[in-house]
Amino acid sequence: MPSTENRGLAERLSCELSAAWAIAKKDMRIYYFKPNIIVSGLFFPVFMFLAFAIGKNTQPGTLIPGLISITLLFSASSIEPVSIPIERRVKTFERLLSAPMSLYSLVTGESLSGFLYSLGIACLPLAIGVIVFGTPILNIPILITSMALTAFCFATLGTLFAAYPTENVGEVMSILNTVRLPLIFISGVFIPISTMPRIGQQIALVSPLTYGNDMIEYAYTGKSLFPPLLDILALIVFILVFQVTANYLYKKFNE
Amino acid sequence: MQAIEVSHLIKKFGSLTALNDISFSVSEGETFGFLGPNGAGKTTTIRILTGVSRPTSGTASIFGHDIEHDTIAARQSMGIVSENSNVYDDLTAWQNMMFSAELYHVGRKEREKKANELLKKFELYERRNDKAHDFSKGMKRRLTLAMGLVNSPRLLFLDEPTSGLDVQSNLIIREVVSDLVLEGVTVFLTTHNIEEANIMCDRVAIINKGRIVAIDAPESLKKTIQSVQSIEVSFDHNSADQLDKLSRLSMVNEAQKAGDKFKLYTEDPSEVINAVMGYAHTHNLKVVSITTLGPSLEDVFIRLTGLQRTGEKIHAID
Repeated sequence: MPSTENRGLAERLSCELSAAWAIAKKDMRIYYFKPNIIVSGLFFPVFMFLAFAIGKNTQPGTLIPGLISITLLFSASSIEPVSIPIERRVKTFERLLSAPMSLYSLVTGESLSGFLYSLGIACLPLAIGVIVFGTPILNIPILITSMALTAFCFATLGTLFAAYPTENVGEVMSILNTVRLPLIFISGVFIPISTMPRIGQQIALVSPLTYGNDMIEYAYTGKSLFPPLLDILALIVFILVFQVTANYLYKKFNE
Repeated sequence: MQAIEVSHLIKKFGSLTALNDISFSVSEGETFGFLGPNGAGKTTTIRILTGVSRPTSGTASIFGHDIEHDTIAARQSMGIVSENSNVYDDLTAWQNMMFSAELYHVGRKEREKKANELLKKFELYERRNDKAHDFSKGMKRRLTLAMGLVNSPRLLFLDEPTSGLDVQSNLIIREVVSDLVLEGVTVFLTTHNIEEANIMCDRVAIINKGRIVAIDAPESLKKTIQSVQSIEVSFDHNSADQLDKLSRLSMVNEAQKAGDKFKLYTEDPSEVINAVMGYAHTHNLKVVSITTLGPSLEDVFIRLTGLQRTGEKIHAID
């Protein structure tokens, strides 16, 4: 029979998770179909990808892993930088800050909506690859793991940037894009890391997209720069760092 | 056990001291008014009491739970109705209620029952499936209050509950708050409507420039400034310079015009009544009504905060 302390802890955890899930559901209902989220999360990665892919002398199907990677990056990190400044402006964010839950649950709940949105959107290039180009997937479990971890990592990144205390969506998006856009070029999505100069290769190591993209490539081709386990560990470390930093910043900026 | 216990609370923002060593307690079941001019420290106090902001020093507890170290337990027993009607415009009234209940860990059956009950009480039940952006200001305010009550709080923070509302919403909100008080809910009310605090509160605290300058029952506070009494008089007709002439009557400290009436502040009401009757006789006026008034809570507020009147409004001297 579980001790009272354990039951208390289990109950607390269940309350925290249900509050986080409530926030995620609320975001799904309100923000998933907002025009600026669709533009930033769906159209932006597609056009960005087409700009680099058109004219390349490669089979379109081979570009699917890269398209999935940048779709995950843009769609996962697009919800919170839109929703949180809006909620600050209309004062609904105060409601979340004063609710009986920890800041970790708030950050997790916010990230969860970006995570689910991103997984849904990333299914489009995945389906196009399978149905239109017949792109084979060699390792489905690795693909699912890589997509889930990459999506959650970038959703947390979006939540982290949304901690910037502004009511202006544009301000958060501008700051976020100064990080998101360079990530595409240094993470092996368009330019293989092995062909980059040494300094570029070193910078690539601090990009979470490097590990997400590497693992997705592995799932499709069986080839990767790092072992999948290392990619998984790296993404988990990034998630934890983003989560802890976001928690710290939300606390600091609300004092 | 006290519902709220605040001890030597200090909050600094850089070199600005927003709260300067404030202490007070609120008993369970009490309706406590927290009054003060803009920038006095009301919002900072509420943000600390609700665990959104941390004090620089001092402590605050809610039903014995330290708000800084036992934040979640402290918040669980409170309902918060902020000054802005912070409902989600893109959600229906029902979805807003469900979301609020889920944040406060109210079980599914209980939250549905409570939401039905509250939406009916606030006359929003028929509109429960409509999105809040179609609601009037009064309806949004009622929905905000309903959301604040969905977890059956023991302590309700009410920030400007009736400010700028239509008569119907005003009446509904006041009636619901009266019912809550009868049920033993502790209410922490901040309002600019001093008459509202006078009617609703067991005790009020007046905060000014980060310090609590008075804390007592409204009637006890009024007794502290018995020297501020007034005569309210109306004549059968008024002239443009009547206010000026009345303000120059013997023993009148200050005169105000309020609609068809004049309010004359004095320390000696009987002397002023005589002077007013003499004035009416000299100017061929008929006195329609004349009333002696004791100091109001607003008078106390003005005296203690150093504000001054301009016509019907109150302005900060600085």
